[in-house]
Amino acid sequence: MSTHDHYHPPGLQHQFEDMKQQEESVSIGMWMFLVQEIMFFGGMFTVYLVFRSRYPMAFAAGSNHLDAFWGGLNTLVLIVSSLTMALTVYYAQKGNRNMQVILIILTMFFGSVFLGVKAIEYTDKYNHGLIPFSNWNKKTPAEGEKKTEHSGIVLPFETKAEAAEGKNEAHPYHNPTGTFQWDDKEGEKIITEAQQKGYLTNAEKIGYFTNGELDKEKIRGKVQIFYWIYFVMTGLHGLHMIIGLGIMAWLLWKAWLGTYSAEYYSPVEMSGLYWHFVDIVWIFLFPLLYLLGRHFLAGGH
Amino acid sequence: MQNVDAINAGNFEEPKTNYLNNGFTLKSWLLTKDHKRIAIMYLLTVSAFFLMGGVYASLIRLELLTPQSDLLESGTYNRVFTQHGVIMVFLFLIPAIPAILGNFLLPLMIGAKDLALPRINLLSLYIYWVGGILVLFAMMQGGVDTGWTFYTPYSTTFSNSYVMLTGLGIFINGFSSILTGLNFIVTIHTMRAPGMTWFRMPLFVWAHYATSLVMLLGTPVIAITILLLAIERVAKIGIFDPAIGGDPILFQHLFWFYSHPAVYIMILPGMGVISELISNFSRKKIFGYEFIAFSSIAIAVFGFLVWGHHMFVSGQSIYAGLVFSFLTMVVAVPSAIKVFNWSATLYKGQISYETPMLYALFFIGLFLIGGLTGLFLGSIGLTVHLTDTYFIVAHFHYVMVGGQVLAYMGGLHYWWSKMTGKMYSEFWGKISAMLVFVGFNLTFFPQFILGYMGMPRRYASYPPELQVLNIFSTAGASILGIGLILPVIYLTYSIFFGEKASANPYMHPGLEWRTSSPPPTENFEEMPIVTWEAYEFGEENGLDIEEAKRRELAKV
Amino acid sequence: MAEHKEDHEEHGEHAHIGIPGYLVVFGILVVGTIVTYAVALLDLDSKLFPGANTLVALLIAFFKMTCVVLYFMHVRWQSKLIWLTALAGFFWMAIMFAFTMQDYLTRGSGTFTN
Repeated sequence: MSTHDHYHPPGLQHQFEDMKQQEESVSIGMWMFLVQEIMFFGGMFTVYLVFRSRYPMAFAAGSNHLDAFWGGLNTLVLIVSSLTMALTVYYAQKGNRNMQVILIILTMFFGSVFLGVKAIEYTDKYNHGLIPFSNWNKKTPAEGEKKTEHSGIVLPFETKAEAAEGKNEAHPYHNPTGTFQWDDKEGEKIITEAQQKGYLTNAEKIGYFTNGELDKEKIRGKVQIFYWIYFVMTGLHGLHMIIGLGIMAWLLWKAWLGTYSAEYYSPVEMSGLYWHFVDIVWIFLFPLLYLLGRHFLAGGH
Repeated sequence: MQNVDAINAGNFEEPKTNYLNNGFTLKSWLLTKDHKRIAIMYLLTVSAFFLMGGVYASLIRLELLTPQSDLLESGTYNRVFTQHGVIMVFLFLIPAIPAILGNFLLPLMIGAKDLALPRINLLSLYIYWVGGILVLFAMMQGGVDTGWTFYTPYSTTFSNSYVMLTGLGIFINGFSSILTGLNFIVTIHTMRAPGMTWFRMPLFVWAHYATSLVMLLGTPVIAITILLLAIERVAKIGIFDPAIGGDPILFQHLFWFYSHPAVYIMILPGMGVISELISNFSRKKIFGYEFIAFSSIAIAVFGFLVWGHHMFVSGQSIYAGLVFSFLTMVVAVPSAIKVFNWSATLYKGQISYETPMLYALFFIGLFLIGGLTGLFLGSIGLTVHLTDTYFIVAHFHYVMVGGQVLAYMGGLHYWWSKMTGKMYSEFWGKISAMLVFVGFNLTFFPQFILGYMGMPRRYASYPPELQVLNIFSTAGASILGIGLILPVIYLTYSIFFGEKASANPYMHPGLEWRTSSPPPTENFEEMPIVTWEAYEFGEENGLDIEEAKRRELAKV
Repeated sequence: MAEHKEDHEEHGEHAHIGIPGYLVVFGILVVGTIVTYAVALLDLDSKLFPGANTLVALLIAFFKMTCVVLYFMHVRWQSKLIWLTALAGFFWMAIMFAFTMQDYLTRGSGTFTN
């Protein structure tokens, strides 16, 4: 059964007997890698679960300041990129080089759009003092013209400007050291309402109040935890997207050279698995981060 | 008729090139895809780290010779025991058996040309090197003083040592472990030779399958945990920080989700080695093959459900404590099954006491003590008294050193002839095995008593009335040290001056013995077809030891 | 390779659902996203039970994930081992959730201080 004697298919590595064995090995290996990825993100989701079950109202309040429009748009962008990726595999199986190249470029384009939107969102958070890390926000000196604004809550189908007009809390403020800012009337309203309805968890009863009064400092800490988790989760996801773009670039080069055929296309398929996995993570991140407290606001309107 | 090969085991025609002389350039080593060469490179690096960890251990023991903190002041002592822990756990114990023996033997044992993903294998070696270098670099900068567990908030907020650098090293190193595990699983699934069914695989392979599952499912969690710790350290604020409502205990949950199963990463491959040694040196089919195989898997699975027993006194709920305590008792069952089956295998076997077998027998005894004291610690009442005392230090050293290190040494001796093609000195081997056994017990048994008397771990000084037992312990550590340095000498000596090993010096039936020593790069001259069960010592297999002896005499 | 033939039986060559199929799945995913968004605006927490909003969002997310895994990732046509692998990943994550939460959910209220 020596491989040296007979026809040697393209891409068959020395340790395998035939393509079938190689494909199967590579596929199992990739899936094992994805399991590893699930556990990697799983640790982060555990963190999310623990803190959300503790401070649900702070999470809802924090979530309302994320831009659900951009988040939803990004979800759609990723889904489109998943479609183009799936079609890339389809055409790779057909050995159609041109369609592969086009679709890989499209996938990369949508991937980049996703990252671009992410950058817009991060910048917005930076400008509004919502980055939870110590002094990583835009620094606005106490003196002078340079003032920044709190972002008002943006409801769906509402532009930022409308939101800022409609609510009074979009006011200029000073942030000389770039600390985390949180001064949100809506959020406090949500918490008060929940308190009246008896929804607060034990941790919240202690975590938001001092002597029975709402304590802004304390709430800020809890919201900060939400943003911390938001940035780490989306950051890790973004990192995976960047790695995915790198893989796509490599794949584009290989596809350009016409490497893949009906006989040998497993690199395309494996890269596709990775890309879809990253997409799936976002499918969960979107509702879990962006859509937590929307109904509290929508109900009030 | 592959069976006949075994009968001619000693008389293989020596192939012109084996994996060792197939290229001598540095490039032929550093860019190799050969699992055997990668294993040798792991062997060299891991041994270096073992030595380094050993130096730290001896520093600890020297400091504890006297009740005062006179050799090291407490700050330095913190760094010394942390470095000892970090190096031994992450850079020695976890890669030792899987990356060296597993890498070398797994393809041989299942009749494959190589691991399924050789490039990934090389990558994992490089990742290990990068991680190791970072840890070393941190060590040279001044090391880290948090204990190998990196508990928050000390590690995130207060420690001024090189937590980030060490953490980065461990983070990177983790991916080496993940990739090795991934590779093993794929290999076992797809690369088995014709006829090598799941239940014909040596138990070593089963143990590695279980280990790989743990590596794959557990290690990513420590990666994310260390990442969170690092982010918190950089951002100076975070979710483990109680000041804003964060939770330090969450760190412990995440940390032990990996680090408890990591204990099984360390011991399971050792159990695999012991299964091989016990069966082969008793020249008897192993008793209860399926039970041992499935107990490995059971340990891997249940090992994930018991992590809370590290947190009994750290503030988790009593209910969780009860559940974790109960499951801790449950996980002892599959370990016990293994010990019973090994004992039953010995019964009426033709036992011969070569060095590897000595190690295997020592393993059973020491692992038994280590495992049973683990039950003391797992019972939720008694543990309050024993937590963070030397009792727990003694317990995990009985499992880690008495278990894993002895299994590793046994395995290394056993397969040394296969790896290098040379026989080590049996005389010195036995001497060193005895020294290790005596030295080990003298070191760690007094620590059980010390712990029970209440001596806390991780302190540089202790009450003077505990000095006698500490002197015993330090004396034992010196003997243990000699016992572990001797192999370095006689094994190295054997490479240059040792007797040439035949393909099957012990007349054992495993597939790895049916190729030349050292094996050719492609492992087997032609693809083996397996027609026999594991550990089949029938005379029809040509493994009649008397016959072998006669042939040996005839040669002389 | 006598052994892995059996794993391979169901693995048709180049199994997939074709371009129309991909487009249908894509449509389902888009609709799912919009539904997720719309449902988040309804106050199910008061109308049904607390946590209903999150539950619905997660159910939709699971459904979307299943579509992606089965059709885009071709798991539908893969061997049992791949099915098992995909499920095991989620099962293990569930273990991590469950065993961590069994601690947090059973703590006395007094321990929640900060």
